[in-house]
Amino acid sequence: MKVLTIIKKEYKQIVKKKSFIISTILSPILMAGFMFLPILLQRAGREEKTIKILDFSGFIQKQFIEESNKNKRVKEALKLNFTNIIKTDQKQNSLIKIYEKNVLNKNDSNFQLIPEYKKKILDKMIDGLILIPENVKKTRQIYFCASNISDFETNKYIISTIQKILSSNVLKEKIKDPKIVEIVEKATRDVKPSLFIVKKEGTTKSRSEIPYIMSIFMLTLLFSIIMAYGQLIMRGIIEEKNNRIAEVLISSTKTQYLFYGKILGIGLAGLTQVALWIILGGVFISRYSFKIDKSILSFFTPELIIYFVVFFILGYFMFSVLFSIVGASVNTDQEAQQYATPISFLLIIPFIIGIMITQNPNTSIVVLASFFPLFTPTLMFMRISVSIPSFFQIACSILSSLIFIMFLAWIGAKIFRTGILMYGKKPSLKEIIKWTMYR
Amino acid sequence: MNDHVVVLEKLVKDFDGKRAVDNISLRLSKGEILGLLGPNGAGKTTTIRMIMNIIAPDSGNIRLLGEKFSEKIKDRIGYLPEERGLYRKLKVLETLSFFGELKGMKRDEIKKKGNKLLKKFDLESYRSKKVEELSKGMAQKLQFIITIMHSPEFLILDEPFAGLDPVNIEIVKDIILEKKREGVTIIFSTHLMEYAEKTVDSVVMINKGKKVLDGPLSEIKSMYGTQFLKVNYNGNAEFVSSLKYVKNVRDYGKEMEIELQGNNNKDRLLKDLINKLSVNSFQTTEPSLSNIFIKRLAQTNHVDKGDDK
Repeated sequence: MKVLTIIKKEYKQIVKKKSFIISTILSPILMAGFMFLPILLQRAGREEKTIKILDFSGFIQKQFIEESNKNKRVKEALKLNFTNIIKTDQKQNSLIKIYEKNVLNKNDSNFQLIPEYKKKILDKMIDGLILIPENVKKTRQIYFCASNISDFETNKYIISTIQKILSSNVLKEKIKDPKIVEIVEKATRDVKPSLFIVKKEGTTKSRSEIPYIMSIFMLTLLFSIIMAYGQLIMRGIIEEKNNRIAEVLISSTKTQYLFYGKILGIGLAGLTQVALWIILGGVFISRYSFKIDKSILSFFTPELIIYFVVFFILGYFMFSVLFSIVGASVNTDQEAQQYATPISFLLIIPFIIGIMITQNPNTSIVVLASFFPLFTPTLMFMRISVSIPSFFQIACSILSSLIFIMFLAWIGAKIFRTGILMYGKKPSLKEIIKWTMYR
Repeated sequence: MNDHVVVLEKLVKDFDGKRAVDNISLRLSKGEILGLLGPNGAGKTTTIRMIMNIIAPDSGNIRLLGEKFSEKIKDRIGYLPEERGLYRKLKVLETLSFFGELKGMKRDEIKKKGNKLLKKFDLESYRSKKVEELSKGMAQKLQFIITIMHSPEFLILDEPFAGLDPVNIEIVKDIILEKKREGVTIIFSTHLMEYAEKTVDSVVMINKGKKVLDGPLSEIKSMYGTQFLKVNYNGNAEFVSSLKYVKNVRDYGKEMEIELQGNNNKDRLLKDLINKLSVNSFQTTEPSLSNIFIKRLAQTNHVDKGDDK
């Protein structure tokens, strides 16, 4: 069978390459790194931060700094260092007042820092500045100015600590009986949440960001191998076109054999790589499971791995046909890149939708989008990785993808047949459509 | 009728409104070698691609090995395209087995024949080298091996000598003749007339898509008469072209080819030459294919004559 000859050649040509071996070995290492990353980031990733407090109310800063110095977590995990500004600049106080009045009157205005403080932050002499207005008791409004405000843990600590100090101060002022104060303080303590993720395989303690990070990671992996193998096909076809091997091939066998043989051969190489990853990953996890965060381990269920393979196959066939159409229609790699970009967008759009998925994987727009064939491989997989949709939905998406792939391959084979022998000028879209009409 | 290996009937092909191949017909019997001649852009490659079913003719018929082109006969044909190409990353042996299998060969057959041909083309020591490590000439030879390895009954070679050095041209020519002896029917195109002259049985000359000349080589040559002379000389021969009875001169400095008007002017020419030159040799020759070709071109397109010496 001549198809087998082509499949064999395409498969060997990739699997025997050094880059295949390198990427097969390197990827699990990166993957392992990714597993440890959240833990490592938490342990070593923090820099020490100096935050100044400018307290116009006069009663918060002392307690705040005392409290923070006592707190081990602040020093060791968060690495925060709070100090106060002894000489409070009254100019800043009046700037706050102007701002608050403006806000009250619904006037737009910018919050203004006096140049001295602004410069300190910009020059990285301090990492942040907490401003506590005079009438904080009444308004319960504080201001935190920093060059980086995305450090959620720090924000959370500052807010909850000031809240506690404020509350206990107010209580002590109004209620003279310390026993009652104690009772109230106890009664208003923070709730401590523990998050558990529930799956068929079991219930595991997790952190809210873990499933999000992991599913984005798996999606990236899926995206990159679909892209990588799709582009391999594209470049292979361009080589055959440029070298005019195409003529010899076509005079030896059917173009359909060539087309399907190529896609199957390269696809098998891709599957081989995925299989090797699964094996290597399995070996790694079984050896070092005690070192890996349980919440990460619980993410890799057998079901998820199977779906990964299924959606890789679907995505690969879909996009390899698209890429082979591009390869057959252009003459150079540069020209191909021009067309490959819109195709990669088709893979990136689900990423953006994917962010919605993590918050609510079953909103109707997401469900709908996951049935759009070009989005299915990535989007449906992401939905599965976050929370498994009904089997009916999964089956429908797989079926619709299969039908779409067959349709696409049918058109692709036609374009391929004509395109692979077209040299010289770049065909217009109209011409390419005409190619599909040829019998 | 059916014993013709190749039959082309009134092939026509247009590209963007321009006629690339115009009404070309030809027939070729088993074991015959046909030279498809013509300048660059004449339509040789287009004709060959139509024979190979790579492009479809706009009209006309093609029959190969007694039937219409089909998957079945692909294994019985060897095709060397004009622009050579191999997979650069494949090793020589892998290349042989891939293309061999593609032509329906068994593995041990590939091994046997492949090795024999590698030896013949002096490529034995490169068998485990990658194609990209070969020189251009070696890659050409490898491509030629691929074309003939499966023992096709019909060979179609587009510019088989292009890019080869004289030694390898000899090897390729020998193999073409050897194949002919085995009964293989061969079409090859070339714009290098000298090579065609020594190998072909018959000739089809095309220019601007049209057939301008065809027939057995010997017939064509005799048709163009014996009024061709080759003169080896010393001196200044500029005057020769102004002699009334001289139709055409190709002067190479020490040797010239002269075509006379009519058949009875040889003596006059010799006299005139001896008067002004020292003549080393003087012989009548058959017209060379390139002479015939140039002449024929001049006849068929008066418009752009003389721009190509």
